[in-house]
Amino acid sequence: MTATESRPTAQGGGTQGPRTLTLIQAVTEALREELSRDERVVVFGQDVAARGGVFLATAGLQAEFGERRVFDTPLSEASIVGAAVGMAVRGMRPVAEIQFADYMGPGFDQIVSQAAKIRYRSGGQFTAPLVIRTPSGGGVKGGHHHSQSPEAYYTHTPGLKVVMPSTPYDAKGLLKAAIRGHDPVILFEPKRLYRAAKGEVPAADYTVELGRGAVRREGRDLTLIGYGGVMPDVEKAAQALSKEGVEAEVIDLRSLVPWDRDLVLTSVEKTGRAVLVSEAPRTANFMGEVAYVIQEALFDRLLAPVSQVAGFDTPYPYVQDRIYLPGANRIAAACVKTLNF
Amino acid sequence: MIQPFTPDPLRWVADDGQPIRELPARFTPGVLRDLHRDMVRAREFDRKLVTLLRQGRTTFYAQSRGMEATQVGLARSIRVGHDWVWPYYRDHALGLTLGVPLLDLVSQCLGTNSDPSRGRQMPHHFAAKRQNFVSISSSIASQVPPAAGNALAQKYLGVDEITVCTFGDGATSEGDWHAGVNMAAVNAAPCLFVCENNQWAISTPLRGQMASETVHVKARAYGMPGYLVDGNDIIAVMEVMSHVAQEIRQGSGPALVECLTYRVGSHSNADADAEKNYRTREEVALWTGRDPITRVEGLLEHLGHPVSAEERAGLIAATHREVDEAVRQAEASGQPDWRIMFEDVYADLPVHLREQAASLRAEQTGGQA
Ligand SMILES: Cc1ncc(C[n+]2csc(CCOP(=O)(O)OP(=O)(O)O)c2C)c(N)n1
Repeated sequence: MTATESRPTAQGGGTQGPRTLTLIQAVTEALREELSRDERVVVFGQDVAARGGVFLATAGLQAEFGERRVFDTPLSEASIVGAAVGMAVRGMRPVAEIQFADYMGPGFDQIVSQAAKIRYRSGGQFTAPLVIRTPSGGGVKGGHHHSQSPEAYYTHTPGLKVVMPSTPYDAKGLLKAAIRGHDPVILFEPKRLYRAAKGEVPAADYTVELGRGAVRREGRDLTLIGYGGVMPDVEKAAQALSKEGVEAEVIDLRSLVPWDRDLVLTSVEKTGRAVLVSEAPRTANFMGEVAYVIQEALFDRLLAPVSQVAGFDTPYPYVQDRIYLPGANRIAAACVKTLNF
Repeated sequence: MIQPFTPDPLRWVADDGQPIRELPARFTPGVLRDLHRDMVRAREFDRKLVTLLRQGRTTFYAQSRGMEATQVGLARSIRVGHDWVWPYYRDHALGLTLGVPLLDLVSQCLGTNSDPSRGRQMPHHFAAKRQNFVSISSSIASQVPPAAGNALAQKYLGVDEITVCTFGDGATSEGDWHAGVNMAAVNAAPCLFVCENNQWAISTPLRGQMASETVHVKARAYGMPGYLVDGNDIIAVMEVMSHVAQEIRQGSGPALVECLTYRVGSHSNADADAEKNYRTREEVALWTGRDPITRVEGLLEHLGHPVSAEERAGLIAATHREVDEAVRQAEASGQPDWRIMFEDVYADLPVHLREQAASLRAEQTGGQA
């Protein structure tokens, strides 16, 4: 936890100690607590009610909070996002689920033309503080309709905040902060970590500030930066390097817009080398922006060119699901190349 | 006799197979047996694929059990390899009946080298050039505007073809659906829109999807005829489809046919347990009792040409053998290698993809390019 995060408070009752949750359990818990905390919070989307969402992130919430607070929508992402905008403008706190990030397409115009712009174009008179949660990323043999990483489209849209946790702790804290914030937030949930990522989560209320990265491992030789579904492989690569005597500093960005430039620049200034990892296709990948900022700020301090490990510029292939993703070996190889530059 | 906008679904045969109006002459016992065979084949394909899924040999499958009359009836009402089809992901019975080779279908589901789509698409998302069966996309309703365009091209090119576009009831909520239907209507494009209304969109029932009584009434607002058909009555499906297709061929512009049917199984394998959460056993039992295959068997019995138990068992066994053999051949063809990832992204391999392919080749061969 970084110093900027709010500490768990004593309120909330029950057990105060941390428990081990999966990432998806942390999401559900955040939704449950926010629904309890604030009457204006509503949760909706396709199949979120009786079905509990296709990944069961909203399981049990309708039974607990009723049909007015947690409800199913017709099969239309434009309706879901557009309605969320309208509800938010009128004073509610909508948390909309888009079943898969691959299906945000039909809601795209509502996201970029309405949600993202309403504050700016009304001179701040109207705002749309909504949250869109959506599973993204590959590694589940879902083919391209259930594996894509479209975050760059949204990071390219001023007015939106874009976050992607990789731990249960961050998933809960970021989601809560997003719901309480004043801007539209897209929360990409790395679906292959839904059940694979387990970790300690405080029972007491806390949030994780949007825009802050986290150092997952300290090191002096190079800085490895990633976010979302690639993080376990990034950490695995760092462990493997450590056995060879190379100490990588590992940073989990957590937030893409805004992103933690200070954390990244401080680290790269120390290590002199940066390897950036994401699974989205390489061209116009968000990490291209990170690379640009690093070279602009630290050109004379770099000991090697900033290196990127990314997905390939192909649609997400079904059969090559695992080869497509940047695994620990590919990440480690990029690190070695950077070190040997 | 075949009227649009009827309050009740058009039907020829009751649930138990008794005709409720005069059977058109073309439905001879021989024809009915062929249709029966097509439906049994589609169902058994379904059953075998669910088994492959359970065995972990494929990762996704969307059943169409209970919807065979709608899909087989539609396939038998259009001109194969002539008319064009923009399908949705539950349409294997449609594809199979149009003549997509079973080996191609199985290979696609297994992602083997014998898959014409080369293992790139998720299972059950096939494409078949010879049948003008354009690739299945998961993205709901995204096929509707292109189908309108396909039909518009047919009109511009002056070819004697029509376009068929299928979708579920849930799809009619998407903006793309309205955009596509409207585009076809405004341009009087020769497009037959077919709603396979199986009454559920995953866990969302029709009532949670739309406030209109039925799907087909929406056609009125767009200025085209809308028909409501009993989708489990293959005679009704074929009578209405043939009639409407004929009108479209003669330049009437598009039409919407709603086939009222039911998805007896789960939405997909991802939905296996949760099914119990949102449907009642009574509802599933009611619709299982309206099975389209037993209905044709009832009709054949009524006509004095019953399908014997042995005959039925023979049909089932034959399909199982056919699928088993296809699985054997598909698996024997091996897995596509990493190279296919970079092909077909563009017509030519651009330099950045060439570089990425080279880097993967180096990785796969441990540095030996
Ligand atoms: C644009 C889009 N949003 C969400 C989904 C996820 N999804 C897959 S199938 C489905 C339900 C579709 O229902 P319907 O159109 O009635 O067809 P059915 O599956 O019942 O045959 C949903 C919501 C999707 N595939 N595409």
